[in-house]
Amino acid sequence: MNRPPRTGAKIVMYVILGLMTLLALYPIWFAILASGRAGDRLYTFNLAGMFVPTQWTWDNYQTLLQETVFLTWIKNSLIVATLTAIASVSLGTTGAFAFSRFKFRGREAGLILFLAIQAFPGILALIPIAQILTALGLYGSMYGLVIAYMAGQLVFATWMLKGFFDTIPIDLEEAGMMDGCGPVRSFIHIALPLARPALAITFLFGFMAGWGEFFLANIIIPAPDAKKTVMVGMFQMANEVNIPWGQFAAGAVMVIVPIVLVFLWLQRYMEAGLTVGGVKG
Amino acid sequence: MVGWSGRRLALTILAFVAPTLIGIAVFSLYPLLLNVFVSFTNKGLYHPNPDCTVTVWKIMDPACWLEKPPTGLAAPYSIHDPAIKNYGDLLGGFFTKDVLTAVLFILIAFVPLIIAWRVNHYLDRKVTRPISPGPVWLIGLVGTLVLGFLVNVADQYQMILDSGDFIMVNVRTIVYVIICMPILFVLGLTMALMLNNKHLRGVTFFRVALIVPWAASTVAIMMTLIWQFFFREQGTINQILNTLFGIEGPAYLNQAGWAWFIVVLVQVWYTYPFFMVTLLGGLQSIPLDLYEAADVDGANWWRQLVNITLPLLRPIALPIIVLSALTTYKIDAIVWALTRGGPTAGAGKPGATEFVMVHAYKQIFQTKNYGTMGAFAVILFVFLFAATLYSLRITKITKGAYE
Repeated sequence: MNRPPRTGAKIVMYVILGLMTLLALYPIWFAILASGRAGDRLYTFNLAGMFVPTQWTWDNYQTLLQETVFLTWIKNSLIVATLTAIASVSLGTTGAFAFSRFKFRGREAGLILFLAIQAFPGILALIPIAQILTALGLYGSMYGLVIAYMAGQLVFATWMLKGFFDTIPIDLEEAGMMDGCGPVRSFIHIALPLARPALAITFLFGFMAGWGEFFLANIIIPAPDAKKTVMVGMFQMANEVNIPWGQFAAGAVMVIVPIVLVFLWLQRYMEAGLTVGGVKG
Repeated sequence: MVGWSGRRLALTILAFVAPTLIGIAVFSLYPLLLNVFVSFTNKGLYHPNPDCTVTVWKIMDPACWLEKPPTGLAAPYSIHDPAIKNYGDLLGGFFTKDVLTAVLFILIAFVPLIIAWRVNHYLDRKVTRPISPGPVWLIGLVGTLVLGFLVNVADQYQMILDSGDFIMVNVRTIVYVIICMPILFVLGLTMALMLNNKHLRGVTFFRVALIVPWAASTVAIMMTLIWQFFFREQGTINQILNTLFGIEGPAYLNQAGWAWFIVVLVQVWYTYPFFMVTLLGGLQSIPLDLYEAADVDGANWWRQLVNITLPLLRPIALPIIVLSALTTYKIDAIVWALTRGGPTAGAGKPGATEFVMVHAYKQIFQTKNYGTMGAFAVILFVFLFAATLYSLRITKITKGAYE
């Protein structure tokens, strides 16, 4: 396994790695190319144009941003995703700290309850949540959507933060305690600052869950166009009869590329989050 | 923590736990309980309104908290008699003599493989194996194929599928997961082995580039729409085929076989980087002297893989396979963007790629039969929760979580 491979084997490996890299990057590259092409086609009859940019124009971006509700969609999605992330992290942190640091009756029952709620399939929570939102008069509003996302996201955030608190050594808090620090002060002055990266990552997970979700958003905010989130809006755009493909590609690029870059940038933390989060629903 | 004790500690813990638990009770637990309640009733398009004069309704149904609860001409929804009628409707078809016999036959067909597995397990404990594992597996496989032919597995499978829509989508989804998992594992392991090779240059670049699909899976619905475009009748692939070879390609997503293949392909594209990264982490934790010792003993690459790498990867591979199987079971966005569950198999029947979640989503839309769909959710919930607990048992995360 650790012997240097023969030249033949090396070439084979490079070819496979190269092909897989091409496969991994091409769909996004394809969207980028299509977004810069004039006209409403995603493809081009010029084969070379499928792989390298033969022409480039910002028209599609311009039209999409100026003449459609795309920016409003983005704004809606940003609001929903940010609110979900803020709400889940702020409500989850104290509980996660307690579940990580203290032993109390009902602790195990609580942890099992967390797991059970995470096992509940998201789409099927729609029936009770739609009922509740209707009764509250929040059906069709962004706040209603945030409430729907909280059903899954709060437990996920708590579970994940608990995992992070578990990895922070307790020694510092014990030292603080020696100096007369109570549990509340040791939480605020010692544990919270140490957990800052964890809070950021949990926030990001909550944000991405709200940003990429489609099914609940599609039902809870059915109309009008200006209230939809970007996923629902773009999905609808891709299924119209006369699809403005160039604009669709431009929108896809603007939605996909930033999130991919953030993911790659914080790769290590994302992996850690998935492992610590354990049972991602 | 020592030192903090007594009633003050209890109050402090309560203050810490309360915001989170109240939040969870309001946002998560109550909807779950409401769903269980609804699953025993006939709530739906024809009986949408609650009967707020009864205490249970007053407590459970949020519509009853309003000053003016909604009323209509139709009778309010009520609990079925027997209460589990919705569950019976969903599962009933399965518990008939014919279908159970079909299940039994299919299980019997797999007996030779299971025997082969046990025999190998037994032989592994001996100091010297009389025969290597390969032939034993081969005999088991041949036995399964022969038995499968004898009991006519295809017909039995069809019989199970025909016993009800709920059964059909679940069995199909299970088959889908069973198809995906080995592909994901083998592909993930192959790539991880290559990335783990210290004699290759540029590994860091490949490692980052290859996880791009995983990153894109956070916006799966958008990314899959691009994939869908490749396979449309006038899509990229047919365009290339036409330009290069003059072939008119088919509308891939309208043919059951192709649609299945494409859904598997896109799923693998999204998920294998997760396997690759995790398995790479596992590979890097295997001590190198094991391989050096094996080299000295003259073991070739394949034997090192089978006898050192795979056994040592097991504690890492097993959890991610189970975890991934659970998320794959709940596949929704990929199918919805690619085929929306189609191609159709006739009116009112689930389409070829209509997996559990997609089926549920469509049913909620189309039938508005909330009672039955509530039962659907509860059955899935019990199944998924049991699977989660089982996966925790084998991954032993529980141990860490409860300490």
